[in-house]
Amino acid sequence: MKGTNLFLKIFTILVFLFLYSPIIVMVVFSFNESKSIGVFTNFSLRWYEKVINNPEVWKALFNSFWVGAVVTIVSLILGLMMAMAVTRYNFSGKSILESLILIPVIIPEIAEALSLLIMYIFLNIPLGPVTVIIGHVAFCISYVTIVMRARMAGYDRSIEEAARTLGANEFQTFFKITLPTLYPAILAAGLLAFTLSFDDLIKTLFTTGPGFKTLPLVVWSSAARGGVSPELNSLSSFALSISFLFAVFRLRVERRLER
Amino acid sequence: MGFSDTLLKHIRRNVTVKVSLLLIPPLLFLAIWFYAPFFIVGLYSFDMINIQREIVFKPSLIHYLRVLSWTGAMKIFLRSLYFAGVTVILCLLIGYPVAYYISFKMKKYKDLFIVLFIIPFWVSFLLRTYAMMSILDERSFLNVLLTSLKLIDSPIRIMYTDTAVILVMVYDYLVMMVLPLYANLEKLDKTLLEAAYTLGASPVKTFLKITLPLSMPGIMAGFLLVFIPAVGEFVIPELVGGPNNYMVGNLIYEFFMGARHWWIGSALSMLFIVFILSLVITYVRKMGERGLAF
Amino acid sequence: MLKIMVSGVLGLAIGGVGGYFSRQSEIDSLRKEIEDLSKQIELQTFKLEPNLNIYNWTYYINRNLVDWWAKENGVSIVYDTFESLDEVVAKLQTGTSGYDLAVVSDSVVQELANMRVLEPIDLKKIPNFKHIPEKFKNPYYDPGNKYSVIYSYGTTGLGWNNQEVAPEVTAWADVFEVDRHLGKYKGKITMHTDSIETFGAALIYLGRDPTSTKDEDLREAVELLKKQKPYLAGYASTEEYMAGLEAGRFLISHAYNGDIAGIIYASDEREIIITKKLEYISYTVPEEGALAWADNFVIPKGAKNIEAAHAFINFILDPVVSAICTMTVKYPFPAGKDYVPEELRKDPVIFTPEELLDKLYWTRPFTPEERAKRAEYWLELMAA
Repeated sequence: MKGTNLFLKIFTILVFLFLYSPIIVMVVFSFNESKSIGVFTNFSLRWYEKVINNPEVWKALFNSFWVGAVVTIVSLILGLMMAMAVTRYNFSGKSILESLILIPVIIPEIAEALSLLIMYIFLNIPLGPVTVIIGHVAFCISYVTIVMRARMAGYDRSIEEAARTLGANEFQTFFKITLPTLYPAILAAGLLAFTLSFDDLIKTLFTTGPGFKTLPLVVWSSAARGGVSPELNSLSSFALSISFLFAVFRLRVERRLER
Repeated sequence: MGFSDTLLKHIRRNVTVKVSLLLIPPLLFLAIWFYAPFFIVGLYSFDMINIQREIVFKPSLIHYLRVLSWTGAMKIFLRSLYFAGVTVILCLLIGYPVAYYISFKMKKYKDLFIVLFIIPFWVSFLLRTYAMMSILDERSFLNVLLTSLKLIDSPIRIMYTDTAVILVMVYDYLVMMVLPLYANLEKLDKTLLEAAYTLGASPVKTFLKITLPLSMPGIMAGFLLVFIPAVGEFVIPELVGGPNNYMVGNLIYEFFMGARHWWIGSALSMLFIVFILSLVITYVRKMGERGLAF
Repeated sequence: MLKIMVSGVLGLAIGGVGGYFSRQSEIDSLRKEIEDLSKQIELQTFKLEPNLNIYNWTYYINRNLVDWWAKENGVSIVYDTFESLDEVVAKLQTGTSGYDLAVVSDSVVQELANMRVLEPIDLKKIPNFKHIPEKFKNPYYDPGNKYSVIYSYGTTGLGWNNQEVAPEVTAWADVFEVDRHLGKYKGKITMHTDSIETFGAALIYLGRDPTSTKDEDLREAVELLKKQKPYLAGYASTEEYMAGLEAGRFLISHAYNGDIAGIIYASDEREIIITKKLEYISYTVPEEGALAWADNFVIPKGAKNIEAAHAFINFILDPVVSAICTMTVKYPFPAGKDYVPEELRKDPVIFTPEELLDKLYWTRPFTPEERAKRAEYWLELMAA
């Protein structure tokens, strides 16, 4: 018994090591002075200088952010509508609808990305930021709906009814009561949508237009082309710190809401 | 004042209208930008679009028959199943003990540790894959460490091999197995275990007869969450795989972008999608509505 | 005024101090030559629309020149690069790619022209066209240069390490027959990831037409390649084999001539000062024959800035500019041959001898059906 406990403990520690070491090594070596990714010579910011001085990186970062923002807003609105319809009302065909919502989550990304590309080409739609945003939203709506639905499950509508009896109309009820109460759900779903859009690679890869790159795309073309390199280490560490900060922010927000 | 009031009154009374108003914008969006593309791919797969991009009403199965008769495609498909399967099993073997330990054996800090477990996964899939690449590379720190410790003679060359693909896949997908398992184990009624112990069952027996079966939903969910994306994985074979790691994702890509034969590419996509959907449908049938609540 | 501009060009093109100081005298004489010829650079002086979107292979131009031209003409350039022809064809075939200018290979020129997704080229707007040697004008794949203007050209043969490999690599047989180099250097040989190249090599070795789509030919080729596969280190593309050959991980690689020249004469994408010359790498056009190819400027349909596209083509065709490009990327830019320093100009790895060009094979555009058939065989090789 004690033996198994010890084994489990060591095993878990090893797994944690396995999980963390690639990332830690990558970050550590991004500060390496020499070109080596194996031998650490001196602390240096030279690769970060290269990354920071590269306008392409900032453009891509900017693109990732604003695309993420637009995708979040649009998928929140559409997802909220869908979630409300599904949690509040019972209607025939509801189960079919629920499957329809789930499908974008299951479909293999590459099939989805290529299908979208085929359609854009078929309809002669020029590729660019708009086509990227559309691709992201189509995929995020489902996630938003699922998250919101889960959090709206126990939603008590009696407050709304009370407001109604007191004379408030639909819109007032919605904006003054429903939305604020749903705020945690909206935030959770929104953060998820933003993360999905920000990190997206495959759909963006196939639907982007000339000169329009997002951060994952820049990392991908570097990695696919030249493999591992110190600049890419720094770029990845840089991108990582952004994801990390965002995740911490997300955690904080969710913690605060749970109170 | 008059018209909008009557309109609102009508809407209030009629549930269908309410629901429709809510559903139309999102469904319309999905219909155009998610389902229509697959419809077009479907048309291509049934040979209903010609080279001038006009729709022709003469469905034909020739592309499907061709793909199905082609042993290379079958081999590649089986290979993807193999890689995804190995990945799932490894994720389960590695993830279950960890989930079990954190859930059962860590009283005080389990919340902290599960968060610590998730932290590496806050980093995007691509970045995690790249981090693994920098470890697996010949010149990596790991190799330098091992050679200087005299544990190996020369740097391990794993990049561009099967092992690399599987290692990276397990690394990238592990969390998708651990989280549902952990959630499931947490919800387990511990009193059942206590009952078993008081009845004299050994720890091993308790585990095999109670814990394991009760954690099946978690295992099934984890299986689904790992296996399904893993079969269609494209990024990992591209970045760390060699020519022997050609999988379904690469195959579909090759026909759409390389050979630019959209008819065959579409047939391949449709077949693959049908396969995935049937897996999910089987899962849902077996697990019921509960299985989707994660 | 022009002198200042030219020194500016030279300054930008040379960039920082390279470090190959013993070449300083060559650089000085080159600088003088360029200054003497400064009057011959004809730059556009009329106003151009502000945006130009260019799509080219990676590492295929001197970026300093691009930036300089952009600044001089007040044009902001979006310069995107691609790794494989699939990408550029996929984008351009839509007719709404958004690019004003692209560089594609000979077979693709035909394919895109057939699909009618190329804008015609107005040679009157490209006075520097006259600097292109006759041989590269009016090609078989685009008679009359209606849609394309030559960019660079080369062959695909075998790059090899002349210190570690003996005897000399001379033929495809060396990498297809086990009792020749294939067996001796097992695990250190790579073939190309592009199926057109590797199938081409196999078919040429078998004495067939490298562009064949006949089942018998492809079947034999695939069997040959399957037998070869266990002896290979893998299938490598530019980045991989360049790094591998230089590091010694690969001893023989199926490669483009310019890539091999790029390893031999190392320099940065923005520099023309060659920092070192690697004597241990050689390049051979196999005796059975090889594929030759030519990359060309094309203007995709829907280009919004056709004027600037033509102006940019004209700029690159300027002999001095072409020479600088050649010196940077180590691929030949025909218009500038006379201004390239002698060592590079006489190197057959960079400037494929003209007699040889005539004996080589050219690829051709394939229909989707033909491509699918070849893809099936290729994937059979991958699945093996």
